Amino acid sequence: MRKVVFRGMKADEKRNRVLWCSIAVVALVIALALSLKGSKGLQWVISGLTVGSIYALVAMGFSIIYASTRVINFAQGEFSMLGGMLMYTFSSQVGLPAWLSFILAVTVVTALGAGFERAVIHRMEGASVVALIIVTIGFSIFIRAVAKWIWGTDPVKIAAFLGEEPLRFLGASIVPQSFWVFGFTAVAVILVFLFFNRTLPGKGMRAAAGNPDAASLVGVSTSTSSLLAWTMAAALGAAAGIIIAPINFAAYSFGVMLGLKGFAAAILGGLGSAPGAVVGGLILGVLEIMTAGAFPSGYKDAVAFLIIILVLLVRPQGLLGKPEGEKV
Amino acid sequence: MEKLEKIDATEKGRNYRILLILSVFIFTVPFWAGLIPGSILHMDIVNLMVLAGTYACAVIGLNLLVGYAGQISLGHAAFFGIGAYTTAILCTRMAWFPTWLGVILGGLVAGIIGWLVGVPVLRLKGHYLAMATLGLGEIAFILFTQLKGLTGGTLGILNIPSLSIFGLEFDTEFKLYFLIWAVVMLMMLLSINIICSRVGRALRALHSSDDAAEAMGINTARYKTMIFVLSAVFAGIGGALFAHFLNYIDPASFTFFLSILFITMVVIGGMGNIWGGLVGVIFLIFLPEVIQGLPHWIPLVPESLTNFGNYELVVYGLLLILFMMYMPKGIAFGLSRGTSYAKTKFGHLRDRISARKYEGH
Repeated sequence: MRKVVFRGMKADEKRNRVLWCSIAVVALVIALALSLKGSKGLQWVISGLTVGSIYALVAMGFSIIYASTRVINFAQGEFSMLGGMLMYTFSSQVGLPAWLSFILAVTVVTALGAGFERAVIHRMEGASVVALIIVTIGFSIFIRAVAKWIWGTDPVKIAAFLGEEPLRFLGASIVPQSFWVFGFTAVAVILVFLFFNRTLPGKGMRAAAGNPDAASLVGVSTSTSSLLAWTMAAALGAAAGIIIAPINFAAYSFGVMLGLKGFAAAILGGLGSAPGAVVGGLILGVLEIMTAGAFPSGYKDAVAFLIIILVLLVRPQGLLGKPEGEKV
Repeated sequence: MEKLEKIDATEKGRNYRILLILSVFIFTVPFWAGLIPGSILHMDIVNLMVLAGTYACAVIGLNLLVGYAGQISLGHAAFFGIGAYTTAILCTRMAWFPTWLGVILGGLVAGIIGWLVGVPVLRLKGHYLAMATLGLGEIAFILFTQLKGLTGGTLGILNIPSLSIFGLEFDTEFKLYFLIWAVVMLMMLLSINIICSRVGRALRALHSSDDAAEAMGINTARYKTMIFVLSAVFAGIGGALFAHFLNYIDPASFTFFLSILFITMVVIGGMGNIWGGLVGVIFLIFLPEVIQGLPHWIPLVPESLTNFGNYELVVYGLLLILFMMYMPKGIAFGLSRGTSYAKTKFGHLRDRISARKYEGH
């Protein structure tokens, strides 16, 4: 028993070390970009962190659902796409104020996520994980097709929340929307952290993720925690899609790439770990912008994926993930 | 040990019989398919079956990998594409190059790349392996698009010659049908032999538990790599046949969506059922066509509904969800469960009848 505890502590220490190492590497890359490219480098860093924050939010959605159901939700990117498109409908087509459209769009997508969990995932108890994954693929095809029917194929522009005029900062120009992205991501991360560490349902979800049988013995409902996970993931995804839309436009097809990147970020950080998702997202965002600056633009994603694969070969459980398969 | 071999032998015999019956059916399809008037079907069965045959090559291999070795791959479109590009580049650059050799080399190149990639990547497990293979698929897609000198970029490669083997031209769909399905049946034969053998038993062991299999003295890494390479070769051959069938290829044919389609075919057909791959391919190739043809069959569907842009994708997504909800193990398992259910049901009846006779009612 003592030995197991000791091993656990060692793994924790190692995770912390990896966390600091990865932060140091990112800081080094950023410093290098700043010193070599000056204001252009600063511009890259800020756009990288902006995109990275969005990836972090999507990745958190992946991680939360994975932690409570072991399912990779391939429709996660579609939640973001729907968020952006609904924001367009409410704010530009209907003409509601931005804050109200935001709330409405997030609510609709959240209801959809929760509804899907109740109608499908909940009823498939005992099915294999692969079957559940195929179900989420079916769901994403469905959402995409309906969105294409409703909104067509052309990307739409959504007005920024607070003005479009870029701010000048040390020679770099920053769109004000970036600050919304940073602020919202920070608030969301803190809220998720508080939820999982300070509230009873959150603690219950963590218990259910760790050991579903033991958790249900002490009265944690795994069914409720699955519902909560889908609800939160849908809300996070929708919000991410909405706040990035003024920078990147929105279209029915944008969910695929966002989902793919979010999944990559979640894996890079370590699946099921919320801090891992944030770290993974930010690293992926910065990495992408940096490689876009250093390599021909067509190869941008290839370099990012190559680095993720190489990281996984060194740390097969992701940067901050817990090693799997210890029990025999 | 002898007992296991006996079980495998009976299993093999059963599967051989199914294969024989299936081959007879498949190879007669082009003869009767032409007799059905096109106005009823709204689809070209032979054309779709040739496409299904090329996909089936990839899916059979993937089924071995996912269903038997328990290793997921979300990047098999890459091997399909590598096979297609290998033969396309060779046969268009050098007019004298024999096309059949192009197909074989397509499989070979895909296998070599599969081996180079598989050795390091197969150390990963579960979703991490899924991510790594997904990344490899994306990298391959980007290379297909970006290596313009070799692959023609987004325009792709045009005018790929039709397949010919020692002067025998496979220039029509009708002729190609028999060749491609013969290849598919050969692959099925090979997989039956693999599954019902020592290798198959080892694979099943490592599927249920890596560590236990390792403890039994099974070199799990070797078997995983072997099946991965085999599935890459199958996919490469399928891709090469695909290139010669369509006569042109472009990167858009080998995206992430194709990898997802392959894995969906495996799961919906029946993961870990040797016939599952075939069932999944044929089902998912014909499903969209049937959905598309549906409004023509039902006379009273309002025009507005049939014109509704891409309703077939909406229905397709919904059906995928419903099928997994009610047949989470796939259609092939559903079918076999159905037949065994019928057997027990009728077995009961028979028993009751004989019992009544005995009791003199």
